[in-house]
Amino acid sequence: MIGQHPADLGGHGGGGPTEHANPTETQMEDFTNTHILVGEFELIEPHTLAQASESLRTHAGEAVIMAGGTDLLVGMKMEHIRTKYVISLGRISALKRVDTNSDLVIGATASIRDVAHNSVVRQQYCALAEACQSFSTMQIMVMGTVGGNLCNASPAADTAPALLALDASVHLTSGVREREIALSEFFTGPGGTVLSDGEVLEHISVPAPSLSTGSAFLKMGRVAADISKVSVAVTVVRSEDRVRQCRIALGAVASTPRRIVAAESELLGEKPTISGISKVSQLVQQAIEPITDVRSTAAYRRHLAGVLVGDAFRQAWLRAGGGEIT
Amino acid sequence: MTARTINLNVNGEHKEWSVAENDLLLTELREREGLTGAKYGCGIGECGACTVLVDGQPSLSCLVLAQSVDGCDVLTIEGLARGGELDPLQIAFLDQAAVQCGFCTPGMVLMGRALLNEIPDPTEKDVREFLKGNLCRCTGYSSIVRAILTHRR
Amino acid sequence: MVPEQQQLHSIGQATWRRDGQAKVTGAEEYVSDITLPRMWHARVLRSPYAHARIVHVDTSYAEALGAVCLTHADIPKIRYNERIVSTPPHLYRDRYVLADKARHVGEAIAAVAAPTEAAAEQALRALRVEYEVLETITDPEVAMWDGTEPIYTNVQLGDQELSIEHNIAVQRTIELGDIEHGFANSAVILEREFATSRIYHAQMETKGVVCRPESDGGITVWPTAQSIHNVRQLLGEIYSLPLHKINVKRVPIGGTFGSSIQMNSVIPICVGLTLKSGKTIKLVTTREEDMYDHVRYPSRIRLKLGATKDGLLTAGHMHALSDIGAHNTQAFAFLSVLSGWWASLYKLPAMKFEGKAVYTNKTPSCAMQGFGNPQATFAVESLMDDLADALGIDPVEFRLRNYVGLGGTFWGQGPSVQSIVLSDGVPELLEKGMEKIGWPGRPVSGSQTGRYRRGIGMARGFHTSGAGAPKPGEVIDYSGAFIKVNEDGTVDVVHALMDHGGGTLDAIAKIVAEELGIPSDRIGISPADTLTTVYDVVTHATRGVYAGGGAAHKAARKVKAILLDYASRVLGIETNALVIEPDETLGQGVIYCPSFPERRITVGALAKLCQTNSWGSIAAVESLRQVNCPPAYVAYFVEVEVDTETGSVRTVRAVIGSDCGTVVNPDLAVGQLEGGLSKGLGYALVEDNSWEQESGRLLSKGFWVDGKTPAMSESPLLEDIDTFFADSYEPSGPFGAKGIGEAATNPCAAAYGNALYNALGIRFTELPITPERIVASMVAAESGATKAVLV
Ligand SMILES: Cc1cc2nc3c(=O)[nH]c(=O)nc-3n(C[C@H](O)[C@H](O)[C@H](O)COP(=O)(O)OP(=O)(O)OC[C@H]3O[C@@H](n4cnc5c(N)ncnc54)[C@H](O)[C@@H]3O)c2cc1C
Ligand code: FES
Ligand code: FES
Repeated sequence: MIGQHPADLGGHGGGGPTEHANPTETQMEDFTNTHILVGEFELIEPHTLAQASESLRTHAGEAVIMAGGTDLLVGMKMEHIRTKYVISLGRISALKRVDTNSDLVIGATASIRDVAHNSVVRQQYCALAEACQSFSTMQIMVMGTVGGNLCNASPAADTAPALLALDASVHLTSGVREREIALSEFFTGPGGTVLSDGEVLEHISVPAPSLSTGSAFLKMGRVAADISKVSVAVTVVRSEDRVRQCRIALGAVASTPRRIVAAESELLGEKPTISGISKVSQLVQQAIEPITDVRSTAAYRRHLAGVLVGDAFRQAWLRAGGGEIT
Repeated sequence: MTARTINLNVNGEHKEWSVAENDLLLTELREREGLTGAKYGCGIGECGACTVLVDGQPSLSCLVLAQSVDGCDVLTIEGLARGGELDPLQIAFLDQAAVQCGFCTPGMVLMGRALLNEIPDPTEKDVREFLKGNLCRCTGYSSIVRAILTHRR
Repeated sequence: MVPEQQQLHSIGQATWRRDGQAKVTGAEEYVSDITLPRMWHARVLRSPYAHARIVHVDTSYAEALGAVCLTHADIPKIRYNERIVSTPPHLYRDRYVLADKARHVGEAIAAVAAPTEAAAEQALRALRVEYEVLETITDPEVAMWDGTEPIYTNVQLGDQELSIEHNIAVQRTIELGDIEHGFANSAVILEREFATSRIYHAQMETKGVVCRPESDGGITVWPTAQSIHNVRQLLGEIYSLPLHKINVKRVPIGGTFGSSIQMNSVIPICVGLTLKSGKTIKLVTTREEDMYDHVRYPSRIRLKLGATKDGLLTAGHMHALSDIGAHNTQAFAFLSVLSGWWASLYKLPAMKFEGKAVYTNKTPSCAMQGFGNPQATFAVESLMDDLADALGIDPVEFRLRNYVGLGGTFWGQGPSVQSIVLSDGVPELLEKGMEKIGWPGRPVSGSQTGRYRRGIGMARGFHTSGAGAPKPGEVIDYSGAFIKVNEDGTVDVVHALMDHGGGTLDAIAKIVAEELGIPSDRIGISPADTLTTVYDVVTHATRGVYAGGGAAHKAARKVKAILLDYASRVLGIETNALVIEPDETLGQGVIYCPSFPERRITVGALAKLCQTNSWGSIAAVESLRQVNCPPAYVAYFVEVEVDTETGSVRTVRAVIGSDCGTVVNPDLAVGQLEGGLSKGLGYALVEDNSWEQESGRLLSKGFWVDGKTPAMSESPLLEDIDTFFADSYEPSGPFGAKGIGEAATNPCAAAYGNALYNALGIRFTELPITPERIVASMVAAESGATKAVLV
């Protein structure tokens, strides 16, 4: 994907083994955007998750998973990723679910658009709805998945800050062993996650928010249809006119999407004020490690992060039932 | 690599294709079927020129493996006009001069059609949101938005 | 003003464009859509290094895979310039079909062809190239230092060898009057340096070409091109083929904006492969390759202007430095037009232009919509606002006092292409524009506080209509058309002109219809190729309707004379007494005598009589060099809203007025203005194709989005864009028409700069005006750092 510039991923693809089929063949670094998909591979399209896990075990170290393919196929076309087997989750219908009965459960291959359009998500998980809606193109929203967005682990993945701020956890399975971990523990670096070889993300769960919870997501790119320069999500839980809980997460300002815990505690138990919010912004600005790249500069990202955190906080506070902050 | 036979429906016609894993839907439509209305503009999802509808959903055929459309319904721009009758949206594009070089047009028209199928009465904001990923360097987009909106009425 | 008697039946009518149905149904065939029997596919190996000598290319592995390979060794040692619009003495030749030395990342080193694209990709990966890597020079200032590695030691100018010193490709100084004297008599003098960016054309279709060998030793070529004749001539020159053995076809093009003014670099590569292998070959570039193929000329412009206290300009001095990248495609012409657009914007009693174009190891610059005009206009129109401010005169009033209008001298393509302005809608454009935007209500610059601030700004400009002039200049400019009346009264127009999508060929049909008195749906535009058309230089310089249409008009007049002659014979009426008019019920042109209306014959019946009586065909072929280059004026008024915290800019309203003479295709003309706004705001606010300084690689790595082209979300809402046309008539143009296309974008960036100045009180001198720059300037302004340099 666009967030998958070698720069973002430390010069390597988002996973998958590299292999040179032909000894006379050069691995090209530039001019790899071809009309066709040059790399050769086997496509496996299991109908159940168990089959998928089994294929993964059989081809351990030689296979990658494909959900919507909007990151993976771009990586393969651009030859950042080479692999012998592609295991597609596309035909496992159970993974497409978006379940809102109690907690929000998003199956691994639920599309960005299905989540953006879900009426419960739009009402109760505003940050997530806004993050999904902010994706740069409708076709990518239709094809791409929330699971793929997280597993691709771009620092600029848009659903990541929203889900971090909503305290999501991810459910991973290897077919033999299952585990559930907090999303905040999931990312290890650009393109890197705690997923071990053979493990699949099965679903994402987000605790249902209380009535006095509000959340918001904001993103700025160079143009609207773009990857984020900075993205911010804030969740606030209100108790009367005071902040009971607050979670702040940012994208594209560090090697992974991350929560800024140091800033979250600033307003706990307090009435939010303009100066309080600007303190939060400052703490965020101190904690992040933005870089200069093709999309923006480190200095601007730091500045913008502060502004967007303030804006997102105010928005979340309003949604939590709080008033205008003065 | 193994070629596999897949069955699909393209513009209402049943097709049986023998395709390899790394064959892309865009290339198959263009080279095998001669349906060159879907264009290569970037090959990596950034322009929308290759848009086709797969089971009614707008998809970027440059990022779809041919084998994964086994059993699907694919609609390309060539299939929009039925029996030589232009789709009303195609007429609106002509009426509003929403076509200049025309290279983005197939993608734009199909996106407009997908939108109208979903929201028959879209607002200008809906149109801009739905087509935000389709690039056009000629028109400045206004005439395209106008075409989709006037069609609504 | 439109002459009273001009009553038009075709021109000015909104019609479905002729190629529209093909385009909305996907039937239109662009180069990439062409498939021929037994066609092979080619791919190009491109240099990963910005500057490197090519020591050796080993094709043996690729050949072992069955591919045909092409390297520098296979190519005739003929240097050429891809763009042959300049006259031979002003033509700089510095390139070969395949390079012997890589001068930018992406330079074509070798090519392969194989039966399938997959096989070609494999063969490409089997090529081995040994490079000797040289110092990479990406900064034009560094390029000129003593001791910097030369990118070229010598090139060819005309038929002479020209040695290149300090990597300077061209220098040009143009001086008129005594600027020292002018500045000495000024009440105010302002000087600023402006920088404009390297942006990518981002036309939707990537370059392509198909070449088929013919049994007579010739070739047929289907290229993406703006001029089929220039492609043919260059191919003839490079491969020593006689021109009658080369047929270049006109193929619809998926946008161009200047990116195909030159013969695209892949065309001669593909032809080389065909000539070597005897195969039909198709070569289409990828988006990444295309992004490494061309950019708009960036420039640094230092501009100094003086004015009297009454607001009359006294003198101007412009220094321009342009980083042209690895090849000199048209740097000489670029410096010429830069001076020319400047000289034609405002009356300067004395002026001096000093321009330098410098080679660097970057993608070659080439013309892009407006060719030097957006760059010059950004500098001039920004400084004009500052001057108005300094003088305390309303910016619009200040412009009206100084602009080059009716009776003034306009430089249509640098100093050698000058003509007198015969039509001038500027006062109307400015007056209406002010009214529509609410000019009197605009805030005092820099007076606002608060997070969101609004500002209104304007800028004016123009583009030339063609590059014709009374005297021969440094630029070739003429068109030709062949028109024949068929035996049923329909008409074929055979014209080499390219339509880039703006509807040029529809305009040609309307012009011919208008002259012949035949309904425009009876006029056919023939498919064109170099075998069957006469020369047309190229669709550039907004010359399509004015010059290309002018040639068609001239041929149509001749055809009309022939028609009337024959009609006179049949009807027994003097030729002079006959007229032709479209008859709606008959759907035909009818020739009759107004005094004896019963003496009439349809054009169809007459043409049939000519055939059955063996009188001959009704046809004419004509060439035309226009001897004027009328300015197509444009005025922009924009209102912006700035979020001073994030630095983001929203277009609240845009008003664009155009004086294109008679409007030939009304709906498409509006489209030109709306398209101009989209590209103009991209240039002003977002687009920048940045390079890695050390490696000379594109930072975008071939990702289009990193070129930052505006999409639907950036363009203002429908109700917020207002376009209008001046009531204007160009006496030298076909039915009063002049150009529009390139003019539509030229003043846009300056209008945004001026609106931002009005909102924030900060002058932006560097494009694009990104949120990063806005935020940084706000911080700097608070510490009082950026004020105009008063000399
Ligand atoms: C033109 C374009 C625009 C884009 N715009 C945006 C944008 O605005 N915002 C944004 O955040 N992203 C954007 N993206 C990136 C991409 O679309 C998203 O990251 C998307 O959500 C990825 O989902 P997918 O299903 O397509 O993932 P895939 O490509 O299928 O997979 C991505 C990675 O995750 C792994 N993976 C996927 N699912 C699982 C699983 N269940 N278990 C384990 N591993 C898995 C894959 O192996 C692969 O490495 C854009 C991409 C393109 C091409
Ligand atoms: S070609 Fe598929 S999005 Fe550009
Ligand atoms: S009409 Fe040319 S790109 Fe849209």
